[in-house]
Amino acid sequence: MSALAGIAESTVRLATPLLLAAMGEIIAERSGVLNLGVEGMMLAGALAGFIGTVVTGSAWAGFAIGILAGGLLALLHAVLSISLKVDQVVSGIMLTLLGVGLTTYFGRGWVGENISGFARIEIPILSEIPIIGYALFDITALDYLTLLLVPVIWFFLFRTNVGAEITAVGEDPETADTAGIPVFKIQYACVLLGGLLAGAAGAQLSLAFTNFWATEMVAGRGWIAVALVIFAQWRIWRVLAGAYFFALIDALSFRTGGSVGEELLGQELLATVANFVINPQVMQTYPYIMTIVVLWYIMRQGNLNELGAPRSLLKSYSREQD
Amino acid sequence: MSRTAPLLEVEGLTKHFGDVVANDEIDLTVERGEIHGLLGENGAGKSTLMNMLYGLYTPTSGTIRINGEAQTFDSPKDAIDAGIGMVHQHFMLIPRMTVLENIVLGERETAGDTGSGLTGSLKALFARERNAPRQRVQELGAEYGLDVDPDAKVWELDVGEQQRVEILKALYRDIDLLILDEPTAVLTPNESERMFETIRQLVDEGLTVIFITHKLWEIERMTDRVSVLRDGKLIDTVETDSVSQSDLAEKMVGREVLLSVDKDEHPIGEPVLVADNVSAHDDREIPALTGANVTVGTSEIVGIAGVSGNGQRELAETLIGFRSTETGEIRIDGEDLTGAPPRRFVDAGVSFVPEDRYVHGCAPALSIMHNAGLKEYRSELFENGSVRFDYDAMATYAEELVEEFDVRGVTTVRKTPAADLSGGNLQKLILAREMNRDPKLLVANQPTRGVDIGAIENIRNLMLEQRANGTGILLISEDLDELLDLSDRILVLYEGEFVFETTPDQTNKWELGMYMSTGEEPQQSEPPAAITEAE
Amino acid sequence: MIPTVAFKNRETVPTWFAYGAPLLTVIAALLVSAIPLAWLGVNPINIYYEMFISNPTGIRGVSYILVTAVPLFLAGLAVYIPLKAGLWNIGAEGQLFVGAIIGSYLALTFEWPIYVLLPAMIVSGGIVGALYGAIPGYLRAEHNVNEIISSLMLTFTATTFTGYLLRGPMQGGGGQSATERLPDFARLPTVIHPRLHIGVGLIAVVAVLVYLLINRTRLGYEITLIGSNPSAAAQAGISEYRTYITVFVLGGFLAGMAGIIEIAGVHGRLFEGFSPDYGFTAIAVALLGRNGVFRVLLAALFFAVITTGGTTIAVTQNVPTAIINVIVALTILFLLTAEFIKEHRIVINPDRESDPETPSGLEGAS
Repeated sequence: MSALAGIAESTVRLATPLLLAAMGEIIAERSGVLNLGVEGMMLAGALAGFIGTVVTGSAWAGFAIGILAGGLLALLHAVLSISLKVDQVVSGIMLTLLGVGLTTYFGRGWVGENISGFARIEIPILSEIPIIGYALFDITALDYLTLLLVPVIWFFLFRTNVGAEITAVGEDPETADTAGIPVFKIQYACVLLGGLLAGAAGAQLSLAFTNFWATEMVAGRGWIAVALVIFAQWRIWRVLAGAYFFALIDALSFRTGGSVGEELLGQELLATVANFVINPQVMQTYPYIMTIVVLWYIMRQGNLNELGAPRSLLKSYSREQD
Repeated sequence: MSRTAPLLEVEGLTKHFGDVVANDEIDLTVERGEIHGLLGENGAGKSTLMNMLYGLYTPTSGTIRINGEAQTFDSPKDAIDAGIGMVHQHFMLIPRMTVLENIVLGERETAGDTGSGLTGSLKALFARERNAPRQRVQELGAEYGLDVDPDAKVWELDVGEQQRVEILKALYRDIDLLILDEPTAVLTPNESERMFETIRQLVDEGLTVIFITHKLWEIERMTDRVSVLRDGKLIDTVETDSVSQSDLAEKMVGREVLLSVDKDEHPIGEPVLVADNVSAHDDREIPALTGANVTVGTSEIVGIAGVSGNGQRELAETLIGFRSTETGEIRIDGEDLTGAPPRRFVDAGVSFVPEDRYVHGCAPALSIMHNAGLKEYRSELFENGSVRFDYDAMATYAEELVEEFDVRGVTTVRKTPAADLSGGNLQKLILAREMNRDPKLLVANQPTRGVDIGAIENIRNLMLEQRANGTGILLISEDLDELLDLSDRILVLYEGEFVFETTPDQTNKWELGMYMSTGEEPQQSEPPAAITEAE
Repeated sequence: MIPTVAFKNRETVPTWFAYGAPLLTVIAALLVSAIPLAWLGVNPINIYYEMFISNPTGIRGVSYILVTAVPLFLAGLAVYIPLKAGLWNIGAEGQLFVGAIIGSYLALTFEWPIYVLLPAMIVSGGIVGALYGAIPGYLRAEHNVNEIISSLMLTFTATTFTGYLLRGPMQGGGGQSATERLPDFARLPTVIHPRLHIGVGLIAVVAVLVYLLINRTRLGYEITLIGSNPSAAAQAGISEYRTYITVFVLGGFLAGMAGIIEIAGVHGRLFEGFSPDYGFTAIAVALLGRNGVFRVLLAALFFAVITTGGTTIAVTQNVPTAIINVIVALTILFLLTAEFIKEHRIVINPDRESDPETPSGLEGAS
């Protein structure tokens, strides 16, 4: 298995948690609620999923428990930011802090435990294709499911009646309310879905990508998912592409060593710059920088309709007219 | 005349908001197939009445009957189910979605029959049908001349097209009664024409229409009968053909004469404001003010008459630098400040009393003291050394303002938040702040709106005092008595243009009312005999 | 009609609640945090006793608390000042890091006398922090880019980039992701107790300066007005552009200083993870203290007590330090809930609750 195939395969498997979390975040944000608690929810999902698997002996049962853990934190976020009109930013960040705290606290006793998580499932013939075959057809069940989920979520958001209602709620809750759409119910449901998917993303990390638990295992991927949604301008297929892109960067950062030598580029300065650019840690900043650049580029055009953000994102809605 | 029950019957409909009576015992009947006009000035209660009919407000008392049956509306959906549709003045559309999506929003269209029960509702949620609706929209559009591309994004459409989408939204839901709230407010004359034809066609096909407007010629042109509201009460319902525009103007404007104030003669000096060919857009990038020319001299009050929404806000905001102008020049006391930021206008001696005191006039959460110093905080009064800012001085300043201008309800200037003041007292505070600095130009937009009688007299006297001190005042007001009492000159603003200029002794409320509602010279040269002149 | 649950605005707040609210939220947070403590088999009462009573007594305890309060207070102000203007600075952590980087770089590169080097380190840390903070401020002022997103992204950029520096150009001996130890002349001197560095004195200075800024200067007035009602402020001639950039520059400066002070005063070298999420706890500090600079200070001290208490009980009672995060997060969440209860009372209404209370000045009525 060549290094290239290895990287391709890591990319696909690292894209899974990003995809899950980002799709969940798109759903929540499209209803107008920013969820900055994704990192905390992923941690909750990772730990709960791991514990669930150890206790029940079944990876699938553990996965389900992980999903629910994410959903539980999301429920808190929903109550706080939708019903209690708490600032969405604060609620999200504090829930991440809570998630980090609780999982580090309770997770201490579970470090070092072993489980047999999700095994790779190999699809015959297709997996023989060089590089791509290894990357796409010899991955775990969760990875397959996530890829299948992408068109499902797309269909849900863009081709169903409820998807149109979600969009309406995120754009203009007052108009949606007047049209008879249950604004609060939709926002609650979307935030919950976001949390369930974030929990799934976390569980994938501890049950499929690896088979262990460590307090640092989510490693900021929740934040990358938040960035990814913005980078992809709230569009599902762009999220898919972006997830792979960011996952590639993630995968490349795992490799140690390897540098571009002077011999290759024939010039010391060029080699230094090139080595800087492909340095694993430097590359890890790219998702964040690119997101800011995308945002800046769009905002300077001045046309808010180009910005994919739901117009009522971050605003809390109440029927009370002033 | 048929004997069947009228389509809509309203009896004793009343709406209180706290102490304010917005609608007072209104009895109204709308017959099937008619175009019924609803006429009244701003604040007359038209919107409140319609919002009750559309399920957005609950009546305090009274009944609504559709086809003889009493109805209660908990939400717009109930009203729609009863057959009432409404096109609001401010469209309820989602710009990012397409025409078709906006029209079917909330209808949960699915192919075929959904059936009832769980599977039915799941299907309604997760399926989506667009072909049949698209076809229906196109048919409706073709039938009534409301052509819009169903797949166009709403933000790409112009205002006339957006309004057509709103009408289609209502028609799509099989309504019997369509309420149109000031439909021509945002349209060009051509678009208005087109809309009138559409309405006619709809009515010919059996629709009933309530047409809300303040423009008399539209009433004449479009309606079969018209009801006039004033101060929350229904004044009269008449056959349109049986009254003249001036009769309607009289009913609309009324003969109430408020306090009259003595005005001394004062010399008019050099102009403090010269606005030359000023044009501006509103927040939706639609032209709101076109080629406005106005001059205000020292010790002069220039009154701007007009129904709200004809460009007053945009006029005021350009004159203080808060809104950019598309064309034209603005000179304050000889200095060209076109395009300058608000700061320079403030420093040049321009004061402003905004229409909306809570949104633009004050910071409601902050104290009286903070709000009092809003315009003068940069002055030396509050300097204490080179960096220090003297809040003690500001507190004293605030206390002086409160004292002098009789602002009530202030416990301490440092602690009492501005939001705690009543509307009238807050207005007095704002006026105090704006006037006390002896501005060269004072722009006042509806300064006595929502203020109690006692304070109104107060405020008017203050303005006259300021005028005597040399300030030039641009007074924008819907209160014709106020304008006639206080102004040296009066201009009428109609659809963004000044259509008439006169002086109080050369005109009267009726003539002004006509210009305000039609934009044109009244046909009769004399008001009906029933009207006595305003002072 | 079915009864609906509605939240109606309160007219008056019961006085006991208004004053007792902060205390009640803390108690509530501690009560809930007792659950995970009990889960581990420890007696919460012992824990809290140690955390709040025995730990903070004595020179050692007080020194630790004061030293921990420094970054919490400075970063807290870095969030507080923009918050006063209505903006969120979520980038305090990143500004902290860049300040630490530049300060450490100076310390490791130049052999200046201590009375030159230390001020240079601190000031440069502040300046770089200010520049880094100016970015989200500028983006918001000029292009209306949401400062929450931009400052958040920049935070992770900075922390990740630090990882690069510490494994690369700035790596010290020993092969870890950390710099060399800072030379003695680059360390903040200590007084009274070997851990109590003089950076603590900055707390007092900064507190007074920021207080004066907000409450005694023209700029402070402008910030307050913009934070309360941007449109009224704009009409009064206050420049949103200038104010937005200024508050972020000031915040970045303070956070940058906090970063290098932590290195030069506490740790002695720059390493990954030198900041236990100070920049994020700073958000909690600013929220708890958002009514005034000295409340921010109190909040910083409070969270410092919890933080140091947490590290102590980690040793004495084997309780994971993560309990600190739990308590901090719960405190804020309860605080926000209390705010809501303060503003609204719950009303079961037989009537539909969708009417406006009053139309504002009958505007829009036609």
